[in-house]
Amino acid sequence: MGLSRRKFLKLTAVAGFSAGAIGIHRRSHSLPSGQPITERALRGRWIPTSCLNCPARCGITVKVAGGRAVQIKGNRSSLISEGQICPRGHIGLQVLYDPERIISPLKRSQPKKGKGIAPQWKPISWDQAIEEVVGKLRTLRDTFRPHHLLLLSGLNSRSHEDLLSRFAEAFGTPNLVTGEGLDREAEKTGNWMADGHFDACAYDLDQTNYLLSFGADLLESTPPVARWLRKWGRLRREKTVRTRIVSIQPRYSVTASKSDEWIPIKPGTDAALAMAIAHVVIKEELFDHGFIKEWTMGFDRYRQVALQHYAPEAVSRITGIAAETIYRIAREFAQIRPAIAIAGKGATAWPGGCYTSYAIHCLNALVGSIDVPGGIFYQESPGYRPIPNVACDEIAKRGLEQPSIDLHGTEGFPAARVVTNQVPRSILEGKPYPIEMAIGFNSNFNMTAPGTGQWEEALKKIPFYVHVAPFISEMADFADLVLPSTTFFEEWGYDHSSPGAGFAEVRIKQPVVKPIGDSKSVGDILFHLAKRVPGGVTRAFENIGGSGEGFVRYRTSSLLPWEEFLKKGVWRGPAYQYRKYSRIFNTPSKKFEFVSGNLQALHKRKARGLGEGVAYVPHYSDAKWLGKEEQYPLILFPYQPLLTFENGSQNYPWAQEIFLPMQGVGWASPAEINSETARILNLKDRDEVWIESPFGKIRTRVKVSEGVHPGTVCIPFGQGHTSYGKWQKGIGCNPNEVIGVDFDLLSGQSTFFNTRVRVYKA
Amino acid sequence: MSRWGMVIDLDKCVGCQACVVACKEENNVPHGSPEEQKSRREIYWHKMIAVTNGKYPNVRTEIIPMPCMQCDHPPCVTVCPAKATFKREDGIIVQYFRRCIGCKYCMVACPYGARSFNFKAQEAKAYHHQDEPPDRKSWAPWPFPVRTQGVVEKCTFCFHRIDRGLKEGRKIGTEVVPACVEACPSQARVFGDLDDPQSPVVQLLASRSSFRLREELATKPKVFYLSR
Ligand code: SF4
Ligand code: SF4
Ligand code: SF4
Repeated sequence: MGLSRRKFLKLTAVAGFSAGAIGIHRRSHSLPSGQPITERALRGRWIPTSCLNCPARCGITVKVAGGRAVQIKGNRSSLISEGQICPRGHIGLQVLYDPERIISPLKRSQPKKGKGIAPQWKPISWDQAIEEVVGKLRTLRDTFRPHHLLLLSGLNSRSHEDLLSRFAEAFGTPNLVTGEGLDREAEKTGNWMADGHFDACAYDLDQTNYLLSFGADLLESTPPVARWLRKWGRLRREKTVRTRIVSIQPRYSVTASKSDEWIPIKPGTDAALAMAIAHVVIKEELFDHGFIKEWTMGFDRYRQVALQHYAPEAVSRITGIAAETIYRIAREFAQIRPAIAIAGKGATAWPGGCYTSYAIHCLNALVGSIDVPGGIFYQESPGYRPIPNVACDEIAKRGLEQPSIDLHGTEGFPAARVVTNQVPRSILEGKPYPIEMAIGFNSNFNMTAPGTGQWEEALKKIPFYVHVAPFISEMADFADLVLPSTTFFEEWGYDHSSPGAGFAEVRIKQPVVKPIGDSKSVGDILFHLAKRVPGGVTRAFENIGGSGEGFVRYRTSSLLPWEEFLKKGVWRGPAYQYRKYSRIFNTPSKKFEFVSGNLQALHKRKARGLGEGVAYVPHYSDAKWLGKEEQYPLILFPYQPLLTFENGSQNYPWAQEIFLPMQGVGWASPAEINSETARILNLKDRDEVWIESPFGKIRTRVKVSEGVHPGTVCIPFGQGHTSYGKWQKGIGCNPNEVIGVDFDLLSGQSTFFNTRVRVYKA
Repeated sequence: MSRWGMVIDLDKCVGCQACVVACKEENNVPHGSPEEQKSRREIYWHKMIAVTNGKYPNVRTEIIPMPCMQCDHPPCVTVCPAKATFKREDGIIVQYFRRCIGCKYCMVACPYGARSFNFKAQEAKAYHHQDEPPDRKSWAPWPFPVRTQGVVEKCTFCFHRIDRGLKEGRKIGTEVVPACVEACPSQARVFGDLDDPQSPVVQLLASRSSFRLREELATKPKVFYLSR
């Protein structure tokens, strides 16, 4: 068409067109008239709701014109990120209008299950689908085996999470497993050791003057992401003192490039560095004497450990960071106040990672940055209207007495709350009991968990698996039944962020467009199921609103009037109160503890599990590696770019084409290798290589880089999808296929960075 | 008459690319594919480049968001044989699709790679339209419910927003800004009148050292960067 058009124009008199130019020029200053489509698009209505492309769950407003969502903005009333959103928020449009969404329940007709085996879906009606699910659910309860049901939860709204745990409890299964065991459990456990809060830290970014980040991709994957993106602008140029930001991590990430200083560290040695910083701060008497004296316990012991074992000269040999650098950042950290030390996943998703988190958190106490302006916040929870306790029937009670198959809180994982990656092991071993049925809600663990192979084997073994999600995924491929759920544009819910702003805030999620196809919200599906599983389950879902929407009304009625909530989209709690020292520490001493009383108490309760010689103080221990160094000389250091979606799909061309801004490429997941290492291995840019670990190998291309530690290979998460999607299937590779299954034993955190690999030409 | 300009603070910018996405969202710019990326046929009105210097560990990468520079001396306009690209009175360089003959001279002339050629027809089942079915009667500069194949396109500084804002008597630069400015979460971008001493762009430029890309070419871009 281009050519014929060009010829045509060449043939026509050019003069005629230039006369037109004047007219157009003038006209373009006002809106072109006579454009019904244009006018309608401009007139669209903005409706507030909440994003669910990552756990930040930002408040958004969606413009709807002619029944279609056409544009997304941050909701200015949401103050966590000051009304700003990340790029994924905008790409929500492609999540909603993904042409390959499921539009009706699907039943598998291929009896064999396995990776790469097409399930041969047959559309069925909702009635039939619910009938089949309810039939199996009833059988489990009628035979007193409710605990043989496994519920898996990926990224879901808070309201749906609340309904899910209610369903699990009333049904009688202790097996509701979330993906949190893959995420920040080590960090949370470290915080719990110190101050008794089993939660991620929140930071008062408006007033902090120094940020010391250990292994945290603040601008890519540290929740709540949009808050970091917004506050970065504030940290840099919207306060009187420009905040100094130091980024310690093996890879030169976007965050590192935007920091004032990047310090590449030998992977897995962050705890040693944190202790060395403590060494300098203590030795030079730079700590906050007042806070240490009044509000901490165990300082002398901590001081002794830091001074004795962690001199910067010694730690320099462990971390590969010059002693002078350690001295300098320690002094900066203690002298430029308020300062914050941040424990990121790159530092804590290791064996022993909870101690790394503990060591880093202690730095905050050293400089008195606990619950003060510019320091650590303790995130407040919104006061949702309480739901009456579940009155468990006999069946449920007996089910709930069973241990959970993720073994959290047992001898194996004494401090853990959820051990996501233990689930496939337990299923495969049939211990402590067999799983007969599973339902996955927006989960995709055979993609997002290390050791994808064991998940595939486990999913194959589950006799009846039901997958609930808006689209097919790697996990859905193993399902007997798929129920299409709605996206966050088409359903009711309430949501609040992961810890961030300190004050509490709730956002509404309301349907802005009609559901695509025959999809239903997770909330409505649970109400449907509950109604038809008689006894305690039915009762537990009575009088709490009756539907996904009713439940949201019920729960938020304690916050603000419904009409106002619909219109504004946001409820915000009172301003944050600082220095609540007399009541904030949930530890035996009611103080911040450098020697963990919580851990000691746990040790007493579960003496055998923790074994001998457990340390109650923060410390460094050498990383435990998967794979021998002689055979596998490099460390696989994966990372999560900002444009990786956390909903289980990546089928979004807007995200795919700009996937890796630092490398200027999309639609790929290259292996970044240090130029020196590449020279030794005789590898060049774009060479096809195998990345091989003791657990398997994946194929990708080399990206020779000056921005990665010479001992590492860095590959992004997010690609390597194999199940569906024109815009994702067959693109890139998934590092989880070769990462070994390992844990931080105390917290149950899956480790991501201690697998060794070798790299060779394919 | 105003002279619209933009300031991008590289110290505040977080390299998130919300600007890139928001531009596509606002202007219905087609997304690419792996093949198009390989053959460099993707369309961006606003793109991102990364410039890396140095050796490990003293490496430095600068991520630079790039709309059209809206040059005051635009080479793209000079070379256009069809007068399809021209400068409005307010300084915005626009592209009139009906008159573009697709010769791509402007693409060659532009030193910033700000222009893209639209090789493809809109997909039958696109992810996202500004609005419903294309109405061929309504061909005009904006918005683009239907894509024009075979012409060159580029960033317009979202002039449709400005024009409409002026008509409604709203303040440009505060109440009304281009989509990329509005979407920028770190608020690294500021838009306004370069000829108005009171405007935030002028005041920001006075307060910090700034630069423009390839200043030596004397294209006089109206997009300024504040250094770190
Ligand atoms: S940070 Fe998360 S919740 Fe917020 S806009 Fe981005 S993807 Fe959505
Ligand atoms: S940046 Fe390129 S397209 Fe934009 S005005 Fe300048 S020369 Fe023309
Ligand atoms: S949206 Fe703003 S912060 Fe993000 S890349 Fe663009 S200019 Fe930078």
